[in-house]
Amino acid sequence: MKTLKVDTDETLTLEWRLHVKDYKLILDKKKCVGCEICSLACPKEAIKLEKLEKTSDKQHVKVDIDLEKCNFCGICDVLCPFGAIRVTLNGEHLVSVVEKESFPELIREITVDESKCPINCRECEDACPLGLIKILRVTTDGKVVEDIDNLSDGEKAKLKVKVEIEIDKCPCCGVCEDKCPENAINVNRIFYGKMIIHEDKCPEGCKDCLEVCPTQALYLSENGKVHVNEKFCVYCGACKIVCPVKDALEVERTSINHTPVRSGVWNKTLEKLTSPIIVTKELKAKSSRRARESVEKRLGWKVGLHEQE
Amino acid sequence: MSKNEREEELRIGVFICHCGLNIAGVIDIQELVEFAKTLPDVVYVKDNRYTCADPGQEEIRKGIKEHNLNRVVVAACSPRMHEPTFRRTVSEAGLNPYLFEMANIREFSSWCHSSNPKEATEKAKDLIKMAVAKARLLRPLETMEVPVINKALIIGGGIAGISAALDLAEMGFKVYLLEKSESIGGHMAQLDKTFPTLDCSICIEGPKMVDVGRHPNIQIISYADLISVSGYVGNFKVKIRKNPRYVIEENCTGCGECRDVCPIEYPNEWDMNLGVRKAISVPFDQAVPLVYRINKDYCIECYKCVDACGARQAIDFEQQPEEIELEVGAIIVATGYDIYLPYDNPLYGYGKYANVITSLEFERLILAAGPTGGKVIRASDGKKPKSVVFVQCVGSRDIGKYPYCSNFCCMYTLKHVVQLKEKYKDDIEVYVFYMDMRSNFKGYEEFYQRARELGANFIRGRVSRIFENPKTNNLIVRAEDTALGKPIEIEAEMVVLATAAIPKKGSEELSRILNLTRGANGFFMESHPKLKPMDAPTDGIFLAGACQGPKDIPYSVSQGSGAASRAATVLSKSTWKIEPIIAVVDPEKCRNVHTKCGICAQKCPYGAIKIVENQPAQVIAAMCHGCGTCVAECPADAITQMHFTDAQIIAQIRAALETNPEDKIVAFLCNWCAYAGADLAGTSRLEYPPNIRPIRVMCSGRVDRDFVLEAFRLGAAGVMVGACHLPYDCHYISGNWKMKARMDALAPMLHKLGLSPERFRVEYISAAEGVKFAQVVTEMTEQLKALGKDKIKAENQKLRPILENMLKRKKII
Repeated sequence: MKTLKVDTDETLTLEWRLHVKDYKLILDKKKCVGCEICSLACPKEAIKLEKLEKTSDKQHVKVDIDLEKCNFCGICDVLCPFGAIRVTLNGEHLVSVVEKESFPELIREITVDESKCPINCRECEDACPLGLIKILRVTTDGKVVEDIDNLSDGEKAKLKVKVEIEIDKCPCCGVCEDKCPENAINVNRIFYGKMIIHEDKCPEGCKDCLEVCPTQALYLSENGKVHVNEKFCVYCGACKIVCPVKDALEVERTSINHTPVRSGVWNKTLEKLTSPIIVTKELKAKSSRRARESVEKRLGWKVGLHEQE
Repeated sequence: MSKNEREEELRIGVFICHCGLNIAGVIDIQELVEFAKTLPDVVYVKDNRYTCADPGQEEIRKGIKEHNLNRVVVAACSPRMHEPTFRRTVSEAGLNPYLFEMANIREFSSWCHSSNPKEATEKAKDLIKMAVAKARLLRPLETMEVPVINKALIIGGGIAGISAALDLAEMGFKVYLLEKSESIGGHMAQLDKTFPTLDCSICIEGPKMVDVGRHPNIQIISYADLISVSGYVGNFKVKIRKNPRYVIEENCTGCGECRDVCPIEYPNEWDMNLGVRKAISVPFDQAVPLVYRINKDYCIECYKCVDACGARQAIDFEQQPEEIELEVGAIIVATGYDIYLPYDNPLYGYGKYANVITSLEFERLILAAGPTGGKVIRASDGKKPKSVVFVQCVGSRDIGKYPYCSNFCCMYTLKHVVQLKEKYKDDIEVYVFYMDMRSNFKGYEEFYQRARELGANFIRGRVSRIFENPKTNNLIVRAEDTALGKPIEIEAEMVVLATAAIPKKGSEELSRILNLTRGANGFFMESHPKLKPMDAPTDGIFLAGACQGPKDIPYSVSQGSGAASRAATVLSKSTWKIEPIIAVVDPEKCRNVHTKCGICAQKCPYGAIKIVENQPAQVIAAMCHGCGTCVAECPADAITQMHFTDAQIIAQIRAALETNPEDKIVAFLCNWCAYAGADLAGTSRLEYPPNIRPIRVMCSGRVDRDFVLEAFRLGAAGVMVGACHLPYDCHYISGNWKMKARMDALAPMLHKLGLSPERFRVEYISAAEGVKFAQVVTEMTEQLKALGKDKIKAENQKLRPILENMLKRKKII
């Protein structure tokens, strides 16, 4: 067996090369925003974030994964809101913890009513802070038309708009939903929570958090301090990592939208990402659901508690 | 010593043997008889043609009875030869066997000074005088008996340990089989086929493993470590730590449902990391005991296994290590070997080139139940290689790495050749680079013929370098064909390295726990390479299998059975006799009572001395091997070695130097090496100057610096200490090292006081080095002659008052 760790400017790759099996973990540094999710979630505590000295370079945080500790379980892959980590077996994307139902998947629910989209509109494409949206105009037979400016109105009317979203890399910030003039987009969040900046603690002129925020949740207010726009916050915690002051920033997650699962490691991960109270809540909800299911099974009728969930 | 004994009148009988003409042909026996009569307390002297023969022994018995003898000295051959015989003789006549002493006038006189009968006779007189001097101080000793616990511990559950366990269990003894890993089976369970019969390895070992698991007399303690062993033959106390499996052994049914739901895989070490296993799994399907284990290094604790296990409730994430204590009478060490992975040798490209693998990895590849399902494929592209090169002696027989031969590599390579050729026929080219093909057991040479007839290419020559073609990942093997005397280059799609078998990881720690010695190559040393190949130097501990040196399966099985029968010689007794030549502490003199001392405990090679604060040191009699190292080290002279007391040895020195001391060399020779080497010089009839006066000690560690000082005080021309070779030859583990440290400090002090360096020597002489002994004595005598008697006398004059002061302080004079 060979174990490899290759660190380049673009990727960090970890590998177990066995005789017939090849396990790989690839961290795409261009997609990584330096948030805290993976390092909190890793059950082996293999992922460490290191704050770098501020330079002109964009990267503020270095993510390092310990080859000795990593077991290629793929939990970081599942949880990365930005889809920056990929775990493969023999080149195929395979996350065994999801496959074996040991871990949930994040639910990214984005619906786009493309029928509402005006043919000339590119608001969402321009708005997406991560550049994950692509607007396509297609003919009835599915052909993509690149340039529509020179088309006549009649020809334009025949085209349809198609909104392509790289959903597995989307943290569901909702900027597109907000910017859509036609109310055609509906984004359900992955993470819910609370974010507070204690302005009084902020050093004069510091914009570190603003510089790393991957969405548009932070802005510079008139008093020169950074303020939060919670509407767009995905509660990833990237800001917290770079903040030079203790307790100036509070990021708290209260709920995570995920597929149902019964798993010890998920309970622990949830506790680390949110708080013990949230875990208790989720476990309670789960047990009440199970109780309801057993009652339904026995009595053969619906209890009607759906709304409560 | 009771008052009676002290006041008992000494009546010594001296029996002088002619040994046919062996002694009488050189030495004037009559002169010896007359001389012996003049010695103090000698009341009876008798010469015999053959003292060891029945009539001779009868004379001794008669002498004791008729003359009321209470000490007996026999002047004959080496005590290494007949001391036990004569001890029996005197005890038959009602005398305590330890009231007997021998003067070695054959090996040490008549045989080595045959051309100088006059001097030989003079030396023989001195030897008798020395023996009588010691005999006057001999005290009766009682052999001790300790009760024996009839249970055995076997460390290591490979095929040697399994064989030993089954044999002992069948004899009716309770056996604890301790295994470090999760399953017993050892390396044999990893193999595909066995040579030369090509039986499937696990098919023949599996049933044995199951037998062990089911035997009512055997308890397997697996996934556990040995922490400590105390006690002695017949009465060992063993501490073991059972590591947590996080699965409750009693509840696990071995069904494997937990494994099926587990999402985590990690490299399986048992598969040489070619394949993977689940975070909850057994290393292989035939594991015994069939108990699953969670590897917490990889487990993410999703608890899917807990759900799968359900009502059986075998999984316990809170399990803690458990310490257990056992009491056993004998221990068999069967810890096996490791395979060398040549990462450190860049010539072979192992670890660098994907298609260079070791033989044990090849074994896992060709095994049907292995990670590839029995397909021999390349790691680089998953294709079957069309040509394979086998390289022999990787690491073995290599002066720079492991100089020894690893014993079984030739044969398993032949097996691999036969397997490949029979499986793929002409579809595969096979080359074997070898140094010598060693196929020297039953059916092995025929197997070699079979491999040759199958069309493999055997090339005699050592591989100098392996390169990879980065495009094809093929390997270019460069070597010298010694048959043609030309360099040769072969391109192969796969290279298999027959790497050395090396001492098991942890051997050093085990040697510390069990007081085992290790040879230069790191394998455990047997007590005697020919006659006690399965005995460790410590009584009650035995060795089996490859932990003592690389061995193939039949050899390991025989050794396992052999060690079992050796262990049974202890276990089958209700008590065990211990030689009373042990160390005894005088509580009145021991310094540990009022200060922190404990030097004796530190120096004891066997850990036989117990130190409790403010109490005199305590020797655990049954653990003491009687080397006398502590006796020599004790700063307060509070320890005495029975039968080799300070008083006895000093009496010998004084007797030796009574006349013409400045002509004589006093030599302290350890019983097992230097004394035996001197005996060999005699038996080989090597002549050397007759001026040496040897004094036998059990171990060179016994040689007190006071002995050296006393010899020089009395004016000896020279003093020599003869010991076993460093680093591993000492029969008391490390007595020679302790002596070395002591003499290394003493020598410069003596030089400073004006003693010429050539007058004091420490020599390491093995039992085989009779020639060396004769050379050393000759050389030393010549040097002393060159120094001149006058110079020696002058030095002595200067030295004496200082030495007298030193010895007076220690109350030796």
